[in-house]
Amino acid sequence: MMKTIKEINEKIKKGEAVIVRADEMPEIYEENPKRAAKEVDIVTTGTFGAMCSSGALLNFGHSDPPIKMQRIWLNNVEAYTGLAAVDAYLGATQLSEDRGFEYGGAHVIEDLVKGVEVNLKATAYRTDCYPRKEVETAITLDDMNQAWLLNPRNCYQKYNAAINSTNTLLQTYMGTLLPNFGNVNFSGTGEISPLNNDPNYETIGLGTRIFLCGAKGHVISEGTQHSPKTGFGTIFVQGDLKEMSPDFIAGATIPNYGTSLFVGIGIPIPILNEDVAKSTAVRNKDITVNLFDYGVPRRTRPVVREVNYEELFSGKVDINGKKVRTSSQSSMKVSHKIMETLGQWVEDKEFFLSKPIKNLPGDSEFRPLKVKEETKFVADIMIKKAITAYQKDSLKKVSEILVKNAIDQIPIVDSNNKLVGIVTTWDITKALAKGEKRISEIMTKRVITSRKDEPIDVVARRLDKNSIGSTPVVDEDNRVIGIITMADIIHRGVSK
Amino acid sequence: MTSKYLLKYPTGVADSPVISKTVLKTGVMMNILRANVDYGEATLIVDILGDKEEQKKVVDYLRGEGVDVSKLEKNITNNVEKCVDCGACIALCPTEAISFKDDYSIKVNSDKCIRCGVCVEACPLRALEIVRA
Ligand code: SF4
Ligand code: SF4
Repeated sequence: MMKTIKEINEKIKKGEAVIVRADEMPEIYEENPKRAAKEVDIVTTGTFGAMCSSGALLNFGHSDPPIKMQRIWLNNVEAYTGLAAVDAYLGATQLSEDRGFEYGGAHVIEDLVKGVEVNLKATAYRTDCYPRKEVETAITLDDMNQAWLLNPRNCYQKYNAAINSTNTLLQTYMGTLLPNFGNVNFSGTGEISPLNNDPNYETIGLGTRIFLCGAKGHVISEGTQHSPKTGFGTIFVQGDLKEMSPDFIAGATIPNYGTSLFVGIGIPIPILNEDVAKSTAVRNKDITVNLFDYGVPRRTRPVVREVNYEELFSGKVDINGKKVRTSSQSSMKVSHKIMETLGQWVEDKEFFLSKPIKNLPGDSEFRPLKVKEETKFVADIMIKKAITAYQKDSLKKVSEILVKNAIDQIPIVDSNNKLVGIVTTWDITKALAKGEKRISEIMTKRVITSRKDEPIDVVARRLDKNSIGSTPVVDEDNRVIGIITMADIIHRGVSK
Repeated sequence: MTSKYLLKYPTGVADSPVISKTVLKTGVMMNILRANVDYGEATLIVDILGDKEEQKKVVDYLRGEGVDVSKLEKNITNNVEKCVDCGACIALCPTEAISFKDDYSIKVNSDKCIRCGVCVEACPLRALEIVRA
């Protein structure tokens, strides 16, 4: 070992520590690796993005007479209280009961950090020691005894990018995905992302002091789903909410998905030896992720291609010969500010490095959930003999088919049984009123369809989202091979 | 020279080819940037390709046909207090009105915006707003 944390801290004290940003390091290292390792003491890293697995552990103190606070709400967002009296954990993704996706736990946390007063409502059953049944008041962060940000899964090393192959717009946790490969969304900050600069966990461990939302926080464990083996490490972090700054923490709405918290994390990497120096010299082009098709809402989504962060940051990636624009979901601007601020703290002798008391696992992988019940697929419950009508059929004939079979909509096919549209009883009524005669004029041409190998939960979501009761099931050539209805899903499937 | 205008009219008017008629009558070209026809009302965003006088001619003609016309000076604004410069809005914009500056902050080019609203809906910080016409 060339240097120790203690020695670097000595240098900080004397004002002699050499601090470099993660984006500056590759060039310095490539020029002369040995000298880089010797001369650079600290590489600062940073990331600022939506981290759903975040929340605050709060203690409110006791009222007189006291209350157990069995259930509590902050600005109508419920917090978890299965803890000791007046302790609560407020999760970032918990939605408010009155404002839905527009306001959640994350926004309450932001309001608290901003010093805004929030409404606290609590209810409980009476006990001999806690006789009170309810309380309602307004509190600020200062009024609380403790308020810690406590985030079990933050700071993903890197994250897979997203694209949408379907013909409808999707709103996912990876943001808004335009139809027909319209855009690529990605998150993470690439070569300046903290865990990409120490992928072997040689310096980051339990007790590592970090920049957390403008405060000094700590790594208290590896994060949930920590998967360093595949390059997807995470950390569990803790910090004092009272010391945080609204510049580095923000409540967010991921449209039609939920709320999330933008968390700012910066980790100083001590350059202890040449290996660590090499890790911090990583470049965007060396960090690759898969670009997944979110049009397939399964655990194993199809990979469209592999991409690296250099391409992602360039603003465009090539998909089957087409240039598709990219959107970052993390803020490079704020991430840079985090690196600068952390560097400034060290320079001002306000921030010293801590030696981890335990290393984080460097070889774990995360496992999927085993579900006992078997997944049901469209093929299992669809009606195979779908009633269809031909495009050339007369309005009268189609109406008769609808009446005879007591159905209210019917897929329209061409002579090869290929789906060309759908007609509902409402379309027929309108056609009669307007005097239209041809099926091809009155049918809806853009039909929502399903495939036989899709899980029925996926189809149930599609029906819900489009407010429709059924969809034709088609094969690769768009030929109708069946129909699936919400009624079938409820009666014969498992989706509730 | 071109300027953007927002046109609104009841669908009764929409049954007649009001835009084509206007172009024919005034001899000034128009570019339809966005059209939204609902049951009660049609909303159009057009670029009128002409100088001040020609634009006035078109506007007067449209008003005479019962169309509500307003000039679009400012289309989209970014509330810098709320914006964290994540860039989630950039690739969504059909006219590439939003981009990164060199320092990774967001630049919104209101002139390019055709008020589609996609970015407004997608912004996680609720920092974007379409300016009322
Ligand atoms: S999506 Fe919103 S917060 Fe992100 S850069 Fe655009 S305007 Fe700013
Ligand atoms: S409203 Fe539409 S056109 Fe205007 S900036 Fe946003 S995405 Fe672009």
